Amino acid sequence: MAIYEDTLPAAPPARRSRGRPQWLTGYTLAAPALLLMLVIFLYPLGHSFVMSFFRWDLNSVESPFVGLGNYTDLFTGSSFPQTLRNQVVFTVASLLIEVVGGMAIAVLLNSKLRGLRPARTLLLIPPMVAPAVVGLNFRWLFNEQYGLIDAVLVRLGLPAIPWLSDPGWALISVIIANAWQNTPLLVLLFLAGLQAIPREPLEAAAVDGASAWRTFWSIVLPLMRPVVVIALMIRIIDLFRTFDVIWLMTQGGPGNASNLLTVEAYKLAFQSVDFGHAAAVSYVALVLSLIVLALLYGIPRLTARRAATWQS
Amino acid sequence: MSSALNRRQFLTGSMALAAGAAAGPLLAACGGGDSGNVTEINALLITGGDRYPAYWEKVTSAFTERTGITVKYDLLQFTPLTSKEITLAAARSAQYDVYSTHTAQIGAFFPHFEPLNNYFDPADLADFFPVAITYMTNPANGELAAIPRNMDARTQYYRRDLYEAAGVQPATTWEELVAVGQELTGDGRFGLVLPGQGDPAQRQFADFLWQAGGEWLDQNNNVTFNSDAGVEALTFYRDLVQTHRITPSDVVTYQWNENSAGFTNGTCAAVFDWPGAYATFGDPSLSTVSDAFATAPLPAHKTGISCAISHGLAINKYSRKKDAAAEFIKFTVTPEALVDQYTEFKNYPSRMSTADKVIADAQGMEKQWLSDLRTTIENGKEWPKVPGFDKVSTVVQTAVQNALSNQMSPKAALDAAAEESTRILQQAGALR
Repeated sequence: MAIYEDTLPAAPPARRSRGRPQWLTGYTLAAPALLLMLVIFLYPLGHSFVMSFFRWDLNSVESPFVGLGNYTDLFTGSSFPQTLRNQVVFTVASLLIEVVGGMAIAVLLNSKLRGLRPARTLLLIPPMVAPAVVGLNFRWLFNEQYGLIDAVLVRLGLPAIPWLSDPGWALISVIIANAWQNTPLLVLLFLAGLQAIPREPLEAAAVDGASAWRTFWSIVLPLMRPVVVIALMIRIIDLFRTFDVIWLMTQGGPGNASNLLTVEAYKLAFQSVDFGHAAAVSYVALVLSLIVLALLYGIPRLTARRAATWQS
Repeated sequence: MSSALNRRQFLTGSMALAAGAAAGPLLAACGGGDSGNVTEINALLITGGDRYPAYWEKVTSAFTERTGITVKYDLLQFTPLTSKEITLAAARSAQYDVYSTHTAQIGAFFPHFEPLNNYFDPADLADFFPVAITYMTNPANGELAAIPRNMDARTQYYRRDLYEAAGVQPATTWEELVAVGQELTGDGRFGLVLPGQGDPAQRQFADFLWQAGGEWLDQNNNVTFNSDAGVEALTFYRDLVQTHRITPSDVVTYQWNENSAGFTNGTCAAVFDWPGAYATFGDPSLSTVSDAFATAPLPAHKTGISCAISHGLAINKYSRKKDAAAEFIKFTVTPEALVDQYTEFKNYPSRMSTADKVIADAQGMEKQWLSDLRTTIENGKEWPKVPGFDKVSTVVQTAVQNALSNQMSPKAALDAAAEESTRILQQAGALR
């Protein structure tokens, strides 16, 4: 090592601006990008946050400050509590279907069964389809008069289901459509994770005679935890901003039966022309998703820290 | 000296270019104004089918030929058009000088449209249907916000062949509507189709509300749509779907397109639809019932009132070319332009004199249809244009769906909506 150091030419002295500290140069160079970020990201975010404290209607000349008035209006109004419940049901059910289903399909595709290669290619199709197209397709598939799904059910001697017109089925319908589009994305993520698992612990489990279920539960799943957490985070962020599929299938109806926070914000802004309340709904959605993400990110770290403390 | 562009030159050039780009519109704004030498205006116009682009091209070309002013325009369907105009109005944008608009949404735009009173002669305005002018006028200050281009009022379209085969006449009352509907429902066919979602659901409820003798608000803007008449209207509406079952069971997901499609595809024997549907229903390439439909006035109950609304054009308040914009919108509502619009789309003329001429020139079923529509328009109404009513509309739409899908009784749904609407109108300062 010393030989190399001796033979290497001396590095040129770092070029310094005359009297200008190095950090200032760094900030100056980064300034255009930072400025752009401020303009296109932080300004609208801050502006809409401020807007949520004002009564800001398109048909009103004045926009008085109302403090938390827009937020209290939401929670005391007739539709928002149901919308919040729908959002929770939609998020939890979608996550369960997508994660459990995605993991099951990924495990199947990761097995040595023959003929599964085309399935991996087909899985790329749903995430590539625009959500608006998915919404329109499922609106037709679930149509009670001409829809394919009810036609098949009736042909099988089963009763037709009022998918989009029944308040009990409407939310289920949009969850199905959303899961159809997004489960394959998780399959691909999980498949990549499964293929990165080292062979040794799996071989050791096989030598010890562990069952497939036991191996999955005690070895595969713990090793997959980072991938699952990332997948959950991606999906939670996405589920809190799902709009197109719901709007095209049910517009949040019938009544508010499938109304979600994004749909509520859209209705307030573009039908009620009430930007103050729409901004408040958007911030409730943002805070809720941040809380869920914080819990998701924080709980495993807290558990790990407590375990470490307990062990020491 | 090297001719290659160095970093300093690039940055200096870029900054100069950016400054120029930013200053250009500003300078144009400062030096702008509508001094009479405007050569180009921008318009955001409505489209609603394959023939609209050619129609607007014809209109704008004729305008350019007459005035020398070019009209650059963008076309959008009704819903995205409204959303875009909301965004542009909120941003106080001067991008467009002329907007397409509609009575149903105009309340939101009153502060953002230039008053037209100074651009139109009162004698000329008197030729338009009064209901159209009334509801395009801001009730707070009497300023006319838009000029009506064509009237929208609904007709009962029915299957002549099916009605004749069943020996029934088109319904003239609510009771007959149920009886005829039941007669024609069966074998995969329904006696009637109605919309049940969004603005169309509110529109249908409004017609039933007025026909039951009800009103949206009283003279002091207190909510009255949950009166006995309102409950009767919504109960009747729900019963058509849930009790009498003379409509498809999923009408709660239907808007205007599904409503019309139920008739054109032969599934439903009657529909309440707009004037433009006359052309669609009669076009064999768009309708399976083109040679088998006829028209009648809407059924009545305690009154025969239904909606009379209109598409119109408005001048953007933030436009710097208002005079030129006014020239254009005047050009689109001349009697000749309205006749042309009727010929092209069967759009009902907004001028009474033009309507009379069109009726006089028509024959047979078309003449009767136009004449019936004139009566409907003369007796027609629209929901109130008071601050906050756009939000009330959204609340009512949800209430109607709650009742139609049996989530709530009509009375409970309307009472809940009325309570929330009262709070909305209070906040908007509309309650007297």
